[in-house]
Amino acid sequence: MLKALLTVSTRVNGRDYKRVVEPRLLLSDFLRHELALTGTHVGCEHGVCGACTVLIDGLPMRSCLMFAPQVEGREVKTVEGLADGDKLHPLQQAFRDAHGLQCGFCTPGILMTLTAFLEDHPTPDEAEIREALSGNLCRCTGYQHIVDAVLIATGAATGAATGTSNGARDGVEQD
Amino acid sequence: MTANPSAPAVNRYFGAPVTRNEDPALLTGQALFVDDLVLTEMWHAALLRSPHAHARIESIDVTAARARDGVIAVYTAEDLGDFWQSVPLVVPPPPIPDLVFNKHTQVPLAKDKVRYAGEPVVLVVAESRYVAEDALDDIVVDYATLPVAADLERAAADGAPEVHDGLAGNVAALAHQAKGDYAAAAAEAATVIRRRFTYDHGMAQPMETRGVAAQFDRKTRRLTVWATTQAPASLRGGLAALLGLGERDVRVVAPFVGGGFGSKLLMYYPEELLMPWAALQLGSAVKWIEDRGEHFLATTQARGQIHDAEMALDRDGRILGIKDVFLHDNGAYNPYGLTVPINSQCSILGTYDVPAYDSTFTAVFTNKPIVAPYRGAGRQHGVFVIERLMDIAARELGLDRAEIRRRNLIAADAFPVKHEIIFQDFTALTYDSGNYQPILERALELIGYEKFVAEEQPALRAAGRRVGVGIVNYIEGTGIGPYEGARVQIQANGRVAVATGIGTQGQGHFTSFAQIAADWLGVGVRDVDVTTGDTDQFYWGAGTFASRGAVVAGNAVNHAAAAVHEKAVALAAEHFGCEVAEVVLEDGAARRAGAPGEEIGLGELASLANPMRGAVKPGTEPGLEATRYFGPESGTTASGAHAMIVEVDPETMMIEIKKYVVVHDCGTVINPLLVEGQIHGGVAQGIGNAFYEQLVFDDDAQLLNATLADYLIPTSLDVPRMQLDHTVTPSAHNELGIKGVGEAGALPVGPLFAQALEDALELPARGVDILEIPLSPNRLWELATDASDGAPEGG
Amino acid sequence: MELNGEQRIAAPRQKVWDALNDPRVLKACIPGCESLTQDGDSAFDAIVQAKVGPVRAKFTGRVELTDIRPPESYRISGEGKAGPAGVAKGSADVSLVEDGDGTVLNYVVKADVGGKLAQIGSRLVQSTANKYAADFFARFGDIVTSAVPIEAPAEAPTPAGAVATRAVTPVAQPAAADDANTAHLRRLNWALLAIIVVLIGFILAAH
Repeated sequence: MLKALLTVSTRVNGRDYKRVVEPRLLLSDFLRHELALTGTHVGCEHGVCGACTVLIDGLPMRSCLMFAPQVEGREVKTVEGLADGDKLHPLQQAFRDAHGLQCGFCTPGILMTLTAFLEDHPTPDEAEIREALSGNLCRCTGYQHIVDAVLIATGAATGAATGTSNGARDGVEQD
Repeated sequence: MTANPSAPAVNRYFGAPVTRNEDPALLTGQALFVDDLVLTEMWHAALLRSPHAHARIESIDVTAARARDGVIAVYTAEDLGDFWQSVPLVVPPPPIPDLVFNKHTQVPLAKDKVRYAGEPVVLVVAESRYVAEDALDDIVVDYATLPVAADLERAAADGAPEVHDGLAGNVAALAHQAKGDYAAAAAEAATVIRRRFTYDHGMAQPMETRGVAAQFDRKTRRLTVWATTQAPASLRGGLAALLGLGERDVRVVAPFVGGGFGSKLLMYYPEELLMPWAALQLGSAVKWIEDRGEHFLATTQARGQIHDAEMALDRDGRILGIKDVFLHDNGAYNPYGLTVPINSQCSILGTYDVPAYDSTFTAVFTNKPIVAPYRGAGRQHGVFVIERLMDIAARELGLDRAEIRRRNLIAADAFPVKHEIIFQDFTALTYDSGNYQPILERALELIGYEKFVAEEQPALRAAGRRVGVGIVNYIEGTGIGPYEGARVQIQANGRVAVATGIGTQGQGHFTSFAQIAADWLGVGVRDVDVTTGDTDQFYWGAGTFASRGAVVAGNAVNHAAAAVHEKAVALAAEHFGCEVAEVVLEDGAARRAGAPGEEIGLGELASLANPMRGAVKPGTEPGLEATRYFGPESGTTASGAHAMIVEVDPETMMIEIKKYVVVHDCGTVINPLLVEGQIHGGVAQGIGNAFYEQLVFDDDAQLLNATLADYLIPTSLDVPRMQLDHTVTPSAHNELGIKGVGEAGALPVGPLFAQALEDALELPARGVDILEIPLSPNRLWELATDASDGAPEGG
Repeated sequence: MELNGEQRIAAPRQKVWDALNDPRVLKACIPGCESLTQDGDSAFDAIVQAKVGPVRAKFTGRVELTDIRPPESYRISGEGKAGPAGVAKGSADVSLVEDGDGTVLNYVVKADVGGKLAQIGSRLVQSTANKYAADFFARFGDIVTSAVPIEAPAEAPTPAGAVATRAVTPVAQPAAADDANTAHLRRLNWALLAIIVVLIGFILAAH
């Protein structure tokens, strides 16, 4: 059994980290337990649900299918890197406005997938959004409000225009 | 002096689509889930599970595992000593006359015998999850395999392998309920429809798997357990009793929980018992989290039923009676009693006037994981039977399927409707209120039923398109007791603290309950902090299940907030030296109406209520705080209708949902955003149940598709955009008039798919009925091929 | 899982039979076979390292031989454990039929898997089984029809007990026949033949 440890130097959300780890340590466990960045969640550990999605050098990747040493010298972005202090990222704010999350467990993975997607596709339509989301499973929302959130974030819809029956999308409290 | 407890003066938040208080933490990855916990001296656990569905354990050798570097302890059933026992029955059976019930509950670790593949046999505690899993490889268990009771019908038959020694026929329960005289109804019927229906339901599969972290503090002698549980207070009580601890020495916390849908109810799961026990033995902390593969075996499932059902009708299509005999797959143990099959039994009556009903079920032990509630908890099985019977009856009588439903809906003036049979909450099944006709008509209108059937469908068919429409009704028994409680408190800093005993797995309680309190106390909804699922914060409660959170805990919050309102107003009146009626609470302060400048901040008022010196009047309670409990006299009945237009590709049998409509009635709505979310999520799970998800077991009860690659949870491409509408028929059983809505979306999707797909492929005209769920492209192909061959019987 | 097939081998039946009974040949054809040890008259313990899809495991198996009708057919049944990867059990009915100057080897394998193998590997079992069968017979066919004689006509059989770990090189031996040895080796051969097919079944089943 491989006992040798490896040093991993990586930049996560703009901050440099250096840790000594077993080579078989999953990237998801590295982020969550070595670096205490528990915003990235583990849903399946076999690469299907997408909850563990993070950005590696800008590309969305399943951290449960990678080993920590694979991010040596790379830039990693997790959900903790989206907000600006107390101010939610516009995508996060749109999720709040549209009620695009319920239990919130799949949400970080979806936010990271969408962050990368919207860089390349700033004005997607509903079909394109659903296609982009199809690698992330959500068991709570049925996806509709998530799609609404993206439409709001990209300016394609205001709250009222997303077609829900009772119209009012803007929450009474906006902050 | 007492304000009407059901309505504060101003409803700023109640009923409004308020965005959620809890979202910033969840969106920024700051919310604490069980696996995020870091505790001092925290070890990690892994469980060795049986690969066999039925076997005797001949020997267990853990020597190598114990010797592995980094392993702290290894425990078998023997090591548990007196702690090893069959767990208490969580839900005793309702008092059904002549009920046969055989209790066989699970144990923390298997001893002598394993009864399902996945049953835990050995517990390993190590320095890391990785080392713990390595140590599992070191353990050698010698099994002598036994014949397996895998198939539901064969498990109930003579000579089947006995899951529990001595229990021939594997009968977990046998229950017969009836009202009216079905035999007489059938005798005078113009037509009697008889079919065999099979309904299979899958697993909840929340995105967060189950986890437990337990910490025993050697100095304070207190046990704290963080668990992904839907029933923290009940778990606390059970753990204290089983571990021989005082209840106040045990704290259970359900932090943020990533979905439950029934799979995180109290069972007692072995892991819920083992981690606390291990923490006690080691005097430290132990954490366990499932991976998804383990979840497929270790967490409860919904599964199948086989119904031999018949419906007697007169020649106008009015139901005279229904008779049903069904088998229910219980799994290897039955800690949840009769809950699931009795929900099925009670849901068959549906939204219709059924004068006579005769229902018998046998719950059967099988060598498979435990069957327990999963969103709907057996109601959907019943909804499938009644809605399919209606469709088949419509066809045989030459009636339109919307029309036959119209003719049988319970009249709006018939409520409350007493059905004389017993429901899961131990009371006689009663529909408290309802108004089904407008719901059906609105659903038909939104889907464009008449125009579709008369014009669009024929035109599309002529062009070779396979399109179909479906319309189904459902009722949902919700909001059952026993009770829940809430404490509302205005704190010295002016913020309002609300605590309740239920847990939250995404339902938005941190917002909906805040809305109720905010309206009563005149504060902003963002200024209310709601705590759920912490037994140190609120001691008593049952849990989050059966679509009861808003109904039962919500009403408790309402009562408590109203009581605090009363106290605050009384104290302010005293402070201002005026009448109580002159005081209003608004913008975080108490004000004297008509006297600008006479105001006191709520926080300051709260401090006044808790003097550190001086004397108080006898009977005064300190603080602006109140705790109230609410227990409904019985559950309340929500209802709705779903309609769908679907197209089927005749070559691939893949489907495209063109239009999906939900019209529902959950009584008074606290927050329409949250309600929409619950409906969307329920329908998505219903779509999974109807067309994509199925647990596939082989003849040895081995689960063959224990990964998300093989068990297909619907994606964003499989769930359509839905159009929602609702009516409001308040519940008669609580002041807020709320009915639950958590499970509603999932209930009628199965029969909706069966009806619409039958229609799209024109199967009935060719002699084929769809009598089963789930469907799939393969299955549709088979059915369509049978139809072409002119096969006379249904699927 | 069921797997059946047949393979025509361009060699006479006796030669095929003998080759199938030669432990050196077997070990060369079964990838990952670490050891084959006899345990009693018609039983063997085997250890095979195998990989099925995402699951790599060491299979310890026990094989028994029944319904022996030499040199035509027999049944081999066995059970194997792969530790945390799960369990497998199966049986194979094997027959050899003369076909001109060649031989047709026919096999019908039934195997069941349990544990992780079933949970995540069940989809892969059939296709992996087919692949392993193809690989085995490709190698076997090469060896049997190659110029390298496995056993010279006058050569005595290799002594009982020298199994599995020897290289496949012909050994010049005195031509004395040893009945006990032969009989024993014949049993060994059939058993080994049985093992091969069941191990194939395992490995495939394990996948």
